Amino acid sequence: MSPAKEAAAEQAPILTLDGISKSFDLGKGKTLEAITGVSFGVSRNEICVILGPSGCGKSTVLRMMAGLETPTSGDLMLEGRHIDGPGRDRGMVFQAYTSFDWMSVRRNVEFGMKINGVPASERRDRADHYIRLVGLTKFADAYPTQLSGGMRQRVAIARTLANGPELLLMDEPFGALDAETRWHMQELLVEIAESTRTTIVMVTHDIEEAIFLADKIVFMSRHPGRVKCEIVPEFKNGKRITEKEKVIDLDGYSEIERQIMRLMREEGAKD
Amino acid sequence: MSESVSAPPRRRHFLEVRKPVSKRQAVLSAIAIWVVFFGIWAAASASGMVNELLVPAPQKVLFTIYDLFAERAFAADVLISIMRVLIAFLLASIVAIPLGVMMGSFPAVEGIVNPFVSAWRYLPAPSFIPILLMWFGTGETPKLALLFIGVVFLLITLVMDHTKNVRHELVETALTLGANRYVTVRSVILPAVLPEIVIAMRQMLAVTWTYLVIAEIVASTTGIGAMMMRARRFLHTDEIMAGIIVIGALGLIFDLLFVRLHRQLFPYIQEKRR
Repeated sequence: MSPAKEAAAEQAPILTLDGISKSFDLGKGKTLEAITGVSFGVSRNEICVILGPSGCGKSTVLRMMAGLETPTSGDLMLEGRHIDGPGRDRGMVFQAYTSFDWMSVRRNVEFGMKINGVPASERRDRADHYIRLVGLTKFADAYPTQLSGGMRQRVAIARTLANGPELLLMDEPFGALDAETRWHMQELLVEIAESTRTTIVMVTHDIEEAIFLADKIVFMSRHPGRVKCEIVPEFKNGKRITEKEKVIDLDGYSEIERQIMRLMREEGAKD
Repeated sequence: MSESVSAPPRRRHFLEVRKPVSKRQAVLSAIAIWVVFFGIWAAASASGMVNELLVPAPQKVLFTIYDLFAERAFAADVLISIMRVLIAFLLASIVAIPLGVMMGSFPAVEGIVNPFVSAWRYLPAPSFIPILLMWFGTGETPKLALLFIGVVFLLITLVMDHTKNVRHELVETALTLGANRYVTVRSVILPAVLPEIVIAMRQMLAVTWTYLVIAEIVASTTGIGAMMMRARRFLHTDEIMAGIIVIGALGLIFDLLFVRLHRQLFPYIQEKRR
């Protein structure tokens, strides 16, 4: 990590979660504690991956960052502002396809800017830029229904980034894709993160994906959902590598993979 | 993999589970079923097996259709029937579509309107005919009112259900892009549900035709249904059957128009099946 970047990383995080809990009322005075005491921070330009077994509440935490769910207690702050409901400063990419099928790719990407009053010419330029960034220039005038699954997720990423969010939230965005498309998309995401300097929080249960993408992994355990540990893949030396096999080749990769697999197994034994 | 030369071509059965048939076979099948239908009808008439008075020969019915249009100003009756259907259906759509979309988007609106609508939906519209006649007399109003009542509640429910089925991720995407409630409904939920609304309208237009015939048979001196009731008085079965065929043809034409409209309005849905 360059000294400047190191200093930036040590700055106060732009997103902080402070003692987040969520419980559900089961009636008869009983409550189910789904998430309890989740606290961590995300720094500017960081790729933070929330990893954990299914049922640990990682998606719920992400949805709280988006403002789509509210915690029972605790506080979320983005750049000193309390998160209260969804907003354009926190764009979200879902696992399910969310392209607006009645619009061309270009109009999909322009949608966020249009509803936020960005002038038409600027809208077009920015849409072109982000469509090029995700490699869909040739398909700018196609309808999403004509595209493959991976391409539709690229439309969703371009649409979210073109809207200029401070935070890109991704909820298992590549979970529905086949293995080959998935690692192409992972490499594309690293390139995008490098070129746009966007802060990204991503939820996944794919260990390989987490190690490849993350500057920091927040590992959550379940029953109830809470942060078990934070793992920084130090072996990458703070560099972002865009070819997956090069990351796997690095010393220390398999060690961290083993460590996380053990954590996963411990969680699995809780059933 | 090399191509096998020894394997004989698999015999294609007439009945293949869910294998689409060729265009040619589809057209031939469609013609064949109608040829069989008219053939049996014509044969039964020609052989004298059926009473000529009750079941006129198909060629006689076809001539009657021509004669009705050419000599007896039947077009005016057809036109007034079409106008009744279109006006009542338009009014029902103007009420039902915005209301259904609102109910499907906002549970608060559904909570107010649905208990009312779902009760009315189960009331057979023809049960209102006596009271509609008392209120509105014998003009156009009671007919339009019957058609409206018969269609509007079903259409509201269909539009509401389709609106509720708009995937929640689309709504959440709009919200995280910074859309307010108004923009979310107008720019995401409405265009997402519109293809389904057009299909629902197509189904409900067929229902409107049903109520039209009831209205015209019970309480009208004009329109296709009234013509058929007049014909009954003079034992003109050929005219009754001509009326039935004209109503069927009109229904078919409107249905095809809706299919065309759907294709025109939503080209992206066609692209899906390449």
